[in-house]
Amino acid sequence: MNKEAALSVAERDFILDALREDVRLDGRSADQLRPLTLSFGEEYGHVKVQLGKTSLIVRISAEVAKPHDDRPFDGIFSIAMELTAMGSPAWENGRQGDFETYVTNVLDRVIRHSNALDTESLCVLKGVSCWTIRADVHITGYDGNLIDASCIGVMAGLQHFRRPDAVVKEGQVIVYGIDEKVPVPLNITHKPLSVTFHTFDEGKLVILDATRKEEQASEADVVIGLNNAGDVCYLSKFSGSPVDAMVFVTKTTVALEKVKELNGIIDKALQADLAKRAKGGLAEQARAENDRLIG
Amino acid sequence: MGGPIASLHPLSRADGSASYKCPATGSNVLGSVNAPIELPGRRDALKPEDATIEVFVKPGTAPGGVGERHIEGILRGALGRIILGREKGYPRRGVVITLAVVGCDNIARGSSYLPILPALLHTSILALLSASVPLSMTFSATVLAVDSSGEIVCEPSSTDAAAAASLHVLAFTSQGHLLLNESEGRFDFDTWERVYERALAICHGTSALGSDGDVAMSENVDAQPLEGFVRDTVEDHIHREYAWKIDAA
Amino acid sequence: MASSATAPTAPPALSLPPSQFARLQPHAYLLAHLSPPASSQQPSIRANGRAPSQFRITSANTGSLTHTNGSAVVRLGDTTAVCGIKAEILHTEDIASWSVSHASSPSAPNKRRKLTNPTEKPGEDRQDGSSQAEDDDDNSYIEDFSLLVPNLSLSTGCAPGFIPGAPPSAHAQSLSHQILSLLHSSRLVRSEDLQIWYQRPNLGPEELERHNEDEQMDVDSAQDGSGGVASEVREIKAFWVLYIDIMIISLAGNPFDVAWTAVLAALRDTKLPRAWWDADNEAVVCSDLVSEARKLSLRGLPVSSSFGVFEADAASGWRAVIVPDAEEERKIAESDRKGIQRRWVLADPDGYEEGLAQERVCLVVDKVQQNGKIVIVKLEKNGGFAVDRKQMKELVETSVRRWQDINQILKEC
Repeated sequence: MNKEAALSVAERDFILDALREDVRLDGRSADQLRPLTLSFGEEYGHVKVQLGKTSLIVRISAEVAKPHDDRPFDGIFSIAMELTAMGSPAWENGRQGDFETYVTNVLDRVIRHSNALDTESLCVLKGVSCWTIRADVHITGYDGNLIDASCIGVMAGLQHFRRPDAVVKEGQVIVYGIDEKVPVPLNITHKPLSVTFHTFDEGKLVILDATRKEEQASEADVVIGLNNAGDVCYLSKFSGSPVDAMVFVTKTTVALEKVKELNGIIDKALQADLAKRAKGGLAEQARAENDRLIG
Repeated sequence: MGGPIASLHPLSRADGSASYKCPATGSNVLGSVNAPIELPGRRDALKPEDATIEVFVKPGTAPGGVGERHIEGILRGALGRIILGREKGYPRRGVVITLAVVGCDNIARGSSYLPILPALLHTSILALLSASVPLSMTFSATVLAVDSSGEIVCEPSSTDAAAAASLHVLAFTSQGHLLLNESEGRFDFDTWERVYERALAICHGTSALGSDGDVAMSENVDAQPLEGFVRDTVEDHIHREYAWKIDAA
Repeated sequence: MASSATAPTAPPALSLPPSQFARLQPHAYLLAHLSPPASSQQPSIRANGRAPSQFRITSANTGSLTHTNGSAVVRLGDTTAVCGIKAEILHTEDIASWSVSHASSPSAPNKRRKLTNPTEKPGEDRQDGSSQAEDDDDNSYIEDFSLLVPNLSLSTGCAPGFIPGAPPSAHAQSLSHQILSLLHSSRLVRSEDLQIWYQRPNLGPEELERHNEDEQMDVDSAQDGSGGVASEVREIKAFWVLYIDIMIISLAGNPFDVAWTAVLAALRDTKLPRAWWDADNEAVVCSDLVSEARKLSLRGLPVSSSFGVFEADAASGWRAVIVPDAEEERKIAESDRKGIQRRWVLADPDGYEEGLAQERVCLVVDKVQQNGKIVIVKLEKNGGFAVDRKQMKELVETSVRRWQDINQILKEC
């Protein structure tokens, strides 16, 4: 199946007519995000993202592995996402659909290919051992805009995660447990996020952060990946009907504004979590983190 | 340590869902149930008179592998006897149970899945209850480790489990039947009988035991039997959901 | 209660051949065999002619595949498995976690994996008196570096419904995992058998060599100094990895027992060539002398026995599910007293019986050579309510008898 039940004609018309009058079903304006909440688990790198009714859990894990032969100085970073029946009854377990491939691909390009995580910093011993960082995205509820929500989750997870400290002694890598030595934050070079727009009425109407029903009623989508500095790291118009080129120009500005807003929310949530951890007697880590944020 | 923590219906899209956290073993599982649901992709596997039960286990920080397929088989076997798949609306449809391990130490390939099995079982039964899937009875499960000196450790932590001589997972139905037993390691039959007694006491409380309860039982008297835990979780949830009605009355 | 009605009347009313009856009404067919009408004077017997606790005829043949290090063909009735073991060399430098140690783990100082004590030579200490700690460390090698890699495939055409080109089914994957976890939990293979060592030359040349070595080696020599200058230094340079491939070429029920017996027989047959690290060539060298190859020394002989539970009332569940409550249990107990059996635990179920039995029990037992004590290595029971403690005890006894049989068969092959 791997496809949501189709919208009825009446429902589609209702959504479209409302949009023509600049009204969205949940009362948002065209360029408004749904409320975003981030919460962190006990472990480092365990993030829960709730964007409207879309919810997901990201877990970051680190492991010592052998680097790829052709890149002995680089660590390995991978993002894994599997759509299960937990997120939506329309998704079948254990079967990869087009949608899954598409979302994983966008995530890969926005975060991994833009080098948001400095993989060279993951090298432990040249050609022998490096860190493998793995981000697992578990979709727990799907109500549209999976790409943006996943990006937020992975980026927040990477910033929250601390890997165990490792030192090389006599050609032997010694990994210190989290409780033995202050764990190390990952080296994040920049903070790219994606903003997805959906177009209606031959590209005349453009909204962002569409819900599942709005996605189904839309004609095409445009994904823009940006960081805080306004560098574009991903731009796509993957499928659907043609979109006016000007949409890209005008909406990039909107996207930048949204990325800054989202990164602000992430930073705030991270700081709140750190403060909570510091209270729990982990003041040491908070200092390290503050140094990093200032620097 | 404290007992397990569970909540019903934390997810919005699935028909039923539950989250379960056991502080002792450190396992944290999120489960969802979609039932009854059409499974067009598996048409040839559908049974004419019975529901098809599908279990999918998704590890937290690793790709799924043979270990997951094995544990899915175990869960399907146990749940298959509990779910009333012949009730109206269920035959030729699927009961899809998806379990995601959201917090626990990673399970490497080939290593034991037993420490987390009770959490998976409890999550599934709670999620099935939350999805209102007809069930013949409920069950409760526990994991016990026997260390090299023959001492029984209840709900072992991952280090305890790794050091144990044998590991046992037992599940008892609400009627007191042994529904599932998975034991591995080296042990003799007497040890297994002691483990059985102890597990029955944990799941059903000491009252379910014969008069010949041994000394080890006494430390469990204060703990709530697990069977009651499933019941209480559902009761609490109903209380909250029907607060409007209860208040009005 | 359709079943109990058909069962007594079935034999006289039978107007179609038994094979068709077996297909149309499998449950009633098996039930009629197991509980024949009192008037017929026939003994209770399974449809395949076996007594409930009787296993199928088992035969094993080892060493039939010449390009493997060890192989076996095991046949259990109509279920046949072929197992081939191929040993490959894994260099420690190719193991990512080899050079990694966790500061928190107690064995951290040992992580260098060198023996400085000349009296302690791994690979030669085969007595069971080896210390527990050594055993634990031993086992972690096999698990940590996955030195045993079993893979089971249900080959095309082994039973109807196995089509060519299909990915490994969940069933095959689950069986592979069961064999792997049983190999780990039974600690059948000793990791010392799989280690390939480098014996550093003694004294003079060693000292000379060290002068030219880098700083890292100096630290080593400082460590070694404590053990005396003359101590020999041994280092693990590589491991043998055993790829254990099992192919079920004919499937008629109970694949696990057959697969496990095949693995067992093949491991007993496995011979590894003598191998050592050659420092000059920086490579592992194997001796091609057959006389130097040695067999694995396995820990014990865990034998697996599987059972299926056949329930007389399963047919009445055709419309309604029987919930075994107190009332039901009482009825079963009562009928037991009257000598009417309602549940049968069938050893080694064939394909036909497996389809009728929801409840499964799998027991793996071993007998310790020295004291004859019975050790259970794995006990699994799933899918039903019939087998309780009392029944389990009987099953353990049956498994012990089975252990004797398999032991005999493997000795002879």
